[in-house]
Amino acid sequence: MADADFQRQVLTHLDALYNFAMYLSKRPADAEDLVQETYLRAFRFSHRFQPGTHLRAWLFQILRNTFLTFYRVREREAPVAEDGVPEWDAPMFHDAPEDDGTAMDAHTDLERAMRRLPEEFRTVLLLAEVEGLPLEEVARVMACPVGTVKSRIFRAKERLRGLLRDYETK
Amino acid sequence: MSDRFDDPTDETLGRRLAGELPRYTAPAHMRVTIVEAAAPPRRPVWLGPLLAAAATALVLLLLVMPVLPRIVPADPTQRYVRAVVSEHSRALMWGARHGDVLPAALPWLTQETGIGLNQFFVGDERLELVTAEPVYLERERGVAIHYRDQDGHMLTYIALPAAGLTVPDRDRVQIGRWRPALLRDSGFAALVWKQKDVACFLVSDMVSADDVETFKEYFARVRATTDPVPAY
Repeated sequence: MADADFQRQVLTHLDALYNFAMYLSKRPADAEDLVQETYLRAFRFSHRFQPGTHLRAWLFQILRNTFLTFYRVREREAPVAEDGVPEWDAPMFHDAPEDDGTAMDAHTDLERAMRRLPEEFRTVLLLAEVEGLPLEEVARVMACPVGTVKSRIFRAKERLRGLLRDYETK
Repeated sequence: MSDRFDDPTDETLGRRLAGELPRYTAPAHMRVTIVEAAAPPRRPVWLGPLLAAAATALVLLLLVMPVLPRIVPADPTQRYVRAVVSEHSRALMWGARHGDVLPAALPWLTQETGIGLNQFFVGDERLELVTAEPVYLERERGVAIHYRDQDGHMLTYIALPAAGLTVPDRDRVQIGRWRPALLRDSGFAALVWKQKDVACFLVSDMVSADDVETFKEYFARVRATTDPVPAY
């Protein structure tokens, strides 16, 4: 188990992790579960953290991996439609599913648009633009090259602008 | 591809994301929950001394164990039975030490064991002779002959010089014209009888009611055709 100093350090990132979890899972209960699971894993594997490296990026990486694990499991368990055709295809970039009744309401068009983005796009924008992580750290969290991160940010913003334009015209 | 800071529109959108996107704050109870989950579980105060005492007792037991008296059966017949059962199970698991087929090995066996076999059961359509070998049980040298039946049951015949051994009357069973004692030990059945000053044992794992009847038939075959005598 992690020592007290490590616990103190990781807990300073609680709000940032919860915010990230909220945008990934979109449900407060899921976000809480996600964050708690993240902390449990962080404490359990604290020996793997290299002091001097970016602790926050390490925690984001754990949270995202945990989310993807749960998200993929849930996706596999999604009910099949009556006609046998899945509700949506499974492309490389998944569009986020529509909010259901349990999801929190979006406060602004910007938030609503963010929630509509595929997870890969949402994550790069949250990490790079909202949390201000360096691109190298974002690449580490997402386990991809920095060039891919740049490309995803570009495409994410394009998609976001398109969604915002749609909301304005409506 | 474009760098995020090259495009002023991108920069504006980035600023909007950083400034306008609502931030969610973790509920207060989460911090408490996480800290509690991280804390190592409290051990009961009595657990430490109890474990220490148990460890000490274990160490003492290990130290004392070699000098503790072994629990051996007081009844000499039972002691012999335990020894022949051990020999049988050893042969069952590891095979004979010096497997040799009688009668070629007969002179050597007699020389090694001091037990001569005027005649012996060489097997038939139901029992196959596997090997014969010398054994040393209860401080006596003896002969062991191993048989196997068609169902794969192993039988061990052992003859030991034991002038003082008495076959217990209460365990005797009638098999044809003989009355050996039927004893059980460690999940094995043993028929015990004496031929002059030689104690004879037939051991098998045939312990169920049906198997015991078959075992008795095997005994009759072995007993009728085996005649051990002290060689000197």
